[in-house]
Amino acid sequence: MARRRKRRRKTSRNKKTRRSLWLKLLLVPGLVLAAYLVYLDIQVRHQFDGKRWSLPARVYARPLEIYVGLPLTADQLAAELSALHYRPVRAARQVGDVSRNRNVLHFITRPFVHLDSTDPSRNIRVSIADGAVSRITDGVSGKAISLVRLDPVMVGSFYPSHNEDRVLVKLEEVPPALINALIAVEDRGFYSHRGVAPLAILRALWANVRARGVVQGGSTLTQQLVKNFYLTSERTLTRKLNEAIMALLLEWHYDKDEILEAYLNEVYLGQDGSRAVHGFGLASHFYFERPLAELSDEQFALLVGLVKGPSYYNPRRHPQRARQRRDLVINVMAELELLDPEQATQAKSREPGVSRYQEKAINTFPAFLDMVRRQLRRDYREEDLTSEGLRIFTTLDPQSQWQLEKVLDARLARLEKWQGLPGDTLEGAAVVTSIQGGEVLAVAGGRKPRFAGFNRALDAQRPVGSVIKPAVYLTALEQPERYTLATLLDDTALTYTAPNGDVWAPQNYDREFHDQTPLYNALAHSYNVATARLGLAVGLRQVTGTLKRLGIEQDLPPYPSLALGAVELSPLEVTQMYQTLASGGFRTPLRAIRAVLAADGKPLQRYPLQVKASVQPAAAFLVTTALRYAVRQGTGRALYQALPATLDIAGKTGTTDELRDSWFAGYTGDRLAVVWVGRDDNQPTGLTGSTGALLVWRDLFAQLSDPAPLQSLVEEIEYQRIDPLSGQLAGEGCQDAVELPFIQGTAPQESAPCAYDAGPLQHPVDWFKELFQ
Amino acid sequence: MSSVSVSRIAGTVLALTIVIPGCSMAPYTQTPRPATRPLPPPVVDRGVTSPERPAMPAPVVPAPVYPAAPVQREQPPAVVALLDTAEVQANSGDLDAAAVTLERAIRIDSRNPILWHHLAQVRLAEGESVQAEQLATKSNSLAAGNYALQARNWQLIAEARRNRGDEDGARSAERQVRNLKSH
Repeated sequence: MARRRKRRRKTSRNKKTRRSLWLKLLLVPGLVLAAYLVYLDIQVRHQFDGKRWSLPARVYARPLEIYVGLPLTADQLAAELSALHYRPVRAARQVGDVSRNRNVLHFITRPFVHLDSTDPSRNIRVSIADGAVSRITDGVSGKAISLVRLDPVMVGSFYPSHNEDRVLVKLEEVPPALINALIAVEDRGFYSHRGVAPLAILRALWANVRARGVVQGGSTLTQQLVKNFYLTSERTLTRKLNEAIMALLLEWHYDKDEILEAYLNEVYLGQDGSRAVHGFGLASHFYFERPLAELSDEQFALLVGLVKGPSYYNPRRHPQRARQRRDLVINVMAELELLDPEQATQAKSREPGVSRYQEKAINTFPAFLDMVRRQLRRDYREEDLTSEGLRIFTTLDPQSQWQLEKVLDARLARLEKWQGLPGDTLEGAAVVTSIQGGEVLAVAGGRKPRFAGFNRALDAQRPVGSVIKPAVYLTALEQPERYTLATLLDDTALTYTAPNGDVWAPQNYDREFHDQTPLYNALAHSYNVATARLGLAVGLRQVTGTLKRLGIEQDLPPYPSLALGAVELSPLEVTQMYQTLASGGFRTPLRAIRAVLAADGKPLQRYPLQVKASVQPAAAFLVTTALRYAVRQGTGRALYQALPATLDIAGKTGTTDELRDSWFAGYTGDRLAVVWVGRDDNQPTGLTGSTGALLVWRDLFAQLSDPAPLQSLVEEIEYQRIDPLSGQLAGEGCQDAVELPFIQGTAPQESAPCAYDAGPLQHPVDWFKELFQ
Repeated sequence: MSSVSVSRIAGTVLALTIVIPGCSMAPYTQTPRPATRPLPPPVVDRGVTSPERPAMPAPVVPAPVYPAAPVQREQPPAVVALLDTAEVQANSGDLDAAAVTLERAIRIDSRNPILWHHLAQVRLAEGESVQAEQLATKSNSLAAGNYALQARNWQLIAEARRNRGDEDGARSAERQVRNLKSH
């Protein structure tokens, strides 16, 4: 027994030695292979998990809120719906349809996840009369509706560097018809194979022979998905082998639905300039300008047909080829009874319905998006902006933006002609905001709105000239015991010697002096000398303090010339300054973003409405009143040559030395806009604030009907009739008396001499002279 | 529509003032508590007669456009609807959504002091006492002649200051409340 055992042991030892030799021989390549498999496995999982969520940030305009009384024309509403790619039809039946009968629009809204709630699809009829919404009813029941919110126009995306774009779709959102067609054409064995299907290659061959054309490819959807993980489309045997292994690994880790969903979002379906169109969600928008859920069978067939060769079957470049391919897909669908014969015939008879290609650069409004991006960079990392699928809700009002773009370029061209300047010499920039909310509604960074170059609205620091003057007058009017709108200011020659010996002698634009003139009139006519004297009287440090409170963050030097605007500011900074003034003294940091949502709709960050009481409301009220005079009687009166007298405006022109910069800042009850016109080479333009920027502003507001009052009542304000020559109370005998607001208790007590004279009036000029004798 | 909507507004405002002060008592929690103290009086934009308007000025001079007084004007139905929604949201403790809804209403009717007042209430309930005070101040700047609303804003300011530990400031705000109530 013992011997036997011994022998056995010996034999087994021999066997073991031989086996371990084999093992050793196999170990090295085995380990290498295993390591390689692990490597591929890591890669495939990394790619799969990464790819599924690499989504550019989407930027949305404000959603249009429609309510009775909203100033809106039928054309504007139609333009908004068109920007949202609603389909014009004769009778609206489906989601995304719109029909129009002159001033009545009937449409079916898309559901949308807004910041505060999910709005369901609604069937809506909007009637418009006299430039405003007059009636909103339910398109089915006819019941009156008080408020409807549309989905917001998507105005841009922030892409990762490799410029891939997609509109992520969830499997359960994808119409089964599309999935069936895709599987029928690309991979019939999808639900049974394990990633690779050798038989499928033979089957595909057979099908292709039968159809006398290539209708099926040999690789499975899984393999195709893996292929997309590579950025190049090299075709080598190693690569094919790798793809096959990775396909097997993918199937081992993930279930069929996950793979299918990834495929639907990953597959390459076209090219839009430098932007690669990935996935059926984006392709649906790219080719048909509507979401996947709204497509018809033949449109699904066309998209499925594209998988084989997005460039070769490009329906815009090769419509015939694309149509043949589509019909082939429809035939396959019919063959598998996904469509009945009648449906198939009908589908084939229809036009492909591919929308016209629009060079809609990735970002429609580059200047505005630039502003959004800068604001976001403070809070997010660049890679999160371009890959996390953030949804960014902005304050952009497309109606204002379109209008601004249109008028800016057109007006600059006219000004060039008028000035005899060569074309494209003049540049311009503008910012439009809502006053109380401080929301940026539109931005022009230059006259070519699609050109994402130098953003003058944000980055052009230009001398501001007289647009700064309201800050000087505000500083004075915040001392009501010293200054009122009726206080006479001294507009006689001024020579100021600075501590370093420099002599400064400001001139008026008309090269004349105006002796004594009431404060409101000095601002309305933008008298330089009176303003310079006022600045010195109230203190230049006080004025820079006021500018800080108004929202100018940079430190400005308290030189005497500051009062006349010898400082450089950007149009956006000037806008912030006027926003505080226009909103009655409450500063609201200008916002371009309302909120940022994660890809799943969870709010990440809100940029709420914030206010800060910065200027006495009564003093802001008085300055606004003086600025009303500026546009009714003063330097801005050219406004009313083309605007209705009923539109109440406060505004200020600005002109710099040798007519290099032309500014206009103005506001109505709801809106504020600041416009700059000048040249990039800083040469003279021949334009004053009134003959340049003001006209752009006027064109911009020509379409606007603004029902909001310019000023809100301030309790401590009372009105008095004033004689503008003496700055004293006016009586019956006074001609040209003006009604001015005063902070209670500060109105003049004395009556003007004319007030006692009920008889024939003295000539005011004679009377004025007498005063100085 | 006016009689229906005015009473509806009153109802809405009443409901909001019931709900939101409830949570403003506990400024650092998002969950509104039921009101346990006596109900504050409802805030109604009771309107005020506009100030005496001087006779039309001479034609040479631009006619002064007198600022609109917050007289009893019709609330746009859209604003009424949004106030209703904000109330439901505040009731369910979703103060963030209530704030978003009130901002929507302010975009439609930006000079309506009641909307700013409600936004101030929501901010106070969220523990944002500085913004609450600023928003209440803003509401007051739009509420000329509406002493009831002004008093409520000062009351809110007092509460906001007290939450920040500014007892003197709170007392001075409460003096404003008493002055306004004696109007």
